[in-house]
Amino acid sequence: MRGRETLALLFRSPTAIVAGAVLVALVVTAVLGDSLAPHDPTATDVSNRLQSPSTAHWFGTDELGRDVLSRVIEGAAVSLKVGAVAVGISLVAGVLIGLVAGYYGTWVDDVLMRLSDVLFAFPAMLMAIAVLAILGPGSTNAMIAIGIVYTPIFARITRASVLSVREEVYVRAARSAGAGDLRIVGRHVLPNVTAPIIVQTSISLAFAILSEAALSFVGLGTQPPDPSWGRMLSEGRGFIEQAWWMAVFPGLAIFVTVLAFNVLGDALRDVLDPRQRSAMAGTGVTP
Amino acid sequence: MAARAGAAALGIAALVSACGGGGEEVDVDDGNGTSGADQGGGDGDAPAGTLVAAISAQPDQFDPHKTQAYASFQVLENVYDTLVVPDAEGEFQPSLATEWTTSDDALTWTFTLREGVTFHDGSAFDSADVVYSYRRIIDEQLANAYRFASVANIDAPDPQTVVITLSTPTPALLDNIGGFKGMAIIPEGAGQQTDLATTAVGTGPFTLEETGAGGVTLARYDDYWGDPATVEGVEFRYVSEPAAALTALRSGDIHWTDNVPPQDIEGLQDDEEVELGVTPSVDYWYLAMNQTRPPFDNRDFRRGVAYGIDREEVTEAARFGAATTNQTAIPEQSLWYHEYAPFEHDPDQAADLIEQTAAATPQPMGLMVTDEYPETVQAAQVIQAQLAEVGVEIGIEQEAFATWLDRQAAGDYDAFLLGWLGNLDPFGFYHAQHVCEGTSNFQGYCNPEVDTLLNQAAAETDQEARKALYDQAAELIVDDVSYLYLYNPDVVQAWAPGLEGYEIRPDKAINFETVRLPE
Repeated sequence: MRGRETLALLFRSPTAIVAGAVLVALVVTAVLGDSLAPHDPTATDVSNRLQSPSTAHWFGTDELGRDVLSRVIEGAAVSLKVGAVAVGISLVAGVLIGLVAGYYGTWVDDVLMRLSDVLFAFPAMLMAIAVLAILGPGSTNAMIAIGIVYTPIFARITRASVLSVREEVYVRAARSAGAGDLRIVGRHVLPNVTAPIIVQTSISLAFAILSEAALSFVGLGTQPPDPSWGRMLSEGRGFIEQAWWMAVFPGLAIFVTVLAFNVLGDALRDVLDPRQRSAMAGTGVTP
Repeated sequence: MAARAGAAALGIAALVSACGGGGEEVDVDDGNGTSGADQGGGDGDAPAGTLVAAISAQPDQFDPHKTQAYASFQVLENVYDTLVVPDAEGEFQPSLATEWTTSDDALTWTFTLREGVTFHDGSAFDSADVVYSYRRIIDEQLANAYRFASVANIDAPDPQTVVITLSTPTPALLDNIGGFKGMAIIPEGAGQQTDLATTAVGTGPFTLEETGAGGVTLARYDDYWGDPATVEGVEFRYVSEPAAALTALRSGDIHWTDNVPPQDIEGLQDDEEVELGVTPSVDYWYLAMNQTRPPFDNRDFRRGVAYGIDREEVTEAARFGAATTNQTAIPEQSLWYHEYAPFEHDPDQAADLIEQTAAATPQPMGLMVTDEYPETVQAAQVIQAQLAEVGVEIGIEQEAFATWLDRQAAGDYDAFLLGWLGNLDPFGFYHAQHVCEGTSNFQGYCNPEVDTLLNQAAAETDQEARKALYDQAAELIVDDVSYLYLYNPDVVQAWAPGLEGYEIRPDKAINFETVRLPE
C-alpha cells in the first residue's frame, strides 16, 4: 500500500522519472551487456588503435584498439555490481549495528557508535585505500572496502530513527503485551525506520560507484583487462591530446549514473519524508 | 698523462662552443669572465640561471652505492664521478682516473688518478678514497658488490695510484667500475661520517644543495676539476603527470623533461615550442616465466609461449613504434649485437607445444606487471589476447612496484614483465640474470652449458673470442626461453628550443655539465 503510494508520488516529479528511466536503462544495459556490445570489449587490435568515433566504432577505439563503446557497456555491469554489493554490505551491517545500538541504548550504544565514529573519522577514500592495501587490489576487495567505509553512515541514520521510534506508544504497547525484543524490532521498529534508509541507499549507490571509479583510477579496483569506467578514465588520461574519446565517454557514463542516483535519492527524500528534509540534509550527502 | 686528460676536457669544450654558435661567443666570454668569475656567476654572455628539469619519479635516496632507482641516478650523474666514464658510444674515457694499464696476464690493472681534484666539502681526492669507496661496496655487500666478484684486492701504493688485482681476467672491469654512478667515488669515511642518503659529497660539476618533497636543487661546483658548468645550478622537479611536464615545457617553466610518453612523439615532432630527442637505448624489456613451477619449468612450454607471442604487435602496443623488436637482449647499435631470431610468430606451433606440455586446458598463467612502468600493463593486455589463442589463459596481476619486487624476490609468481636498463657490456646484459646462481636470476634458470660459456666469456680478454662466447650463450638463453626478449625501447626526451650542449644518450645518463640555457 505504502510502496504504491510512494511510487505514485514519485511519478509526479519529472526529474525523478528521467532519473529512474536512466537507471532502468543502465540496469538493462548491464544485464544484457554481452549481447548489446558491438565488439568484444577485451579484444585488442593494435593496428586499429586510437580511431576516432565512426560508424564502426561509435565511441572510437582505445590505445590497444579495443572498442570504447563495448567497454563502456561492459563497464556498466562492473560499476553497478560493485555499487550494489558494496552498498548491500554497508546496508546490512550498518542497519544491524544501528538497530542494536539505538534499541538497546546504554553501553551497547556507546561502544558501537564510538566504533563507528572512529571509522567515520577517516576520509572515506583514504579508508578504502587502506583497506585495499591490506586486502590487495581487485574488484571483489574494492566492494568490501567500499562496504566497510559506508557502514557507519547507515548505522548512524538507523540509530537516529530507532531512538525516536523506540519511544513511540505502539512500541511500548507491544512491550507491555509481552513481545520479545526480536519481534518488536522486526515488526514495529524496522518498518518505521526504512524511509531514511531507502534515501541513503540511493545516494550511497552514487557514491559507491564514484568510489569504485576512483579506486580503479588509482589502480586498486578492477584489474586489467576488465573494463571499468574509472580504469578507462585513468588509461584515457594519458591520451587526452590524441584521443579525447577514451576519457570523455567513460567520464560521461560516470557522470550520468551518479547524477541519476542522486536525483532519485533527492526525489525519494521529498516523497518519503517531507518534514524531515532539513534534518536529513546533514547526514545524507557527506560520505 | 695530464695531457691526455686535458685533451679530453678540451674536446668537450670544443663541442660546447661548436654547439653554442662558434668562436665569437667564446671571445666575448673571455672579456666578461674576469669581472664575474669571483662571484661564481660570471658565465660571460651565457644566460645565467638555473636549468629546470622535470623528471617523472622521485629518487628514493642519494647514496650512490645503495640506491637502485633511475630517478636517483638522474640527479647523482651530475654530482658524483667514477674513475672512468662511458662516452655516448659506450667507450670508456678518463674521469677521475687519467690513464690505466693492464698487466700481461690481465690480472693487474693500474689506474693513475687525476691531480687537483677536490670533493664538495673541500677535502682533496686521492687513492684512499677509491679504496674506501670500493671496499664499502664489497664489505657491506651493497647492491653492486657483484661487479667486484673477480676482484681479489684493491691497493693504493701512493696517493695517485690505485691497483686492482683480479682473480680471473675481467675484460668488463671498466664497465664494472665506471658504467654508471652507482660506482661513484666518495670521500674516505663518508659512509660513517655523513648521511649519504640525504646529502652528497662528490667530485662532480654540481653540489647537492636542497632536497625536498617537490624536487632537488644542485649548485655549480666552482672548484670542479673540469671546466665549470655553464649554468649556475640545476633544479630537478618531480612531475609524475606527462601532460603537466609538457605544458610546463611549452610555457617555459621547465627546460628539460624525460617524462614524454611514446604516444606523444608523433604530435611533438612538428611542435615548434618543443625540441624532441629520440634515440635507441641500451635497455631491453622481457617476459620471464617462473622455472621452478610446472608447467613453466618445461622448456617446450616456454617455447610454445615464445611462438605464441607476436613481438611486433606487443612492441607497437607498448611503445607506439618507439622501440625495436629483438629476440636477444643486446640492441642492434651495440658492437656486441648478435643477430638471432629463431621465433617466428606461429600460433599453430605454439598451440601444439602448449597442448603437449600444459597442466590444464587452457593453462592459467598469472602475469605480474606494475603501474610504475605502464608499458608493462599495455604489453600484458596484448600478450593476454595473443596467448588466449594458443591455450594459455593469462591473469594480469597489477602490483605496486614495492609489492612487485617482493613477490619477484620470493618467487611468488608464474610470470612477469620488466626491463633492464643502462647496460653496456654483455656481462651486464647476460651474466647475473642467467648463470645458475646469478644474483638477478629470479626466474630459476639453470643450464650448465650456459654457465660455462658465460663464465668463460667473463674472463676472455680477446674481444672477438669473447663476443663469440656471448653469442653462443645468448642463443642458448633465447632457445631455452630463460628470458623471452621483447624489444629495445628508444630514449625519448624533450627540451626547450635553444637549449644547447645537451646530449641525449643511449644509456640515459643525464648530464647537464655542458648545457647552456636558451637566450
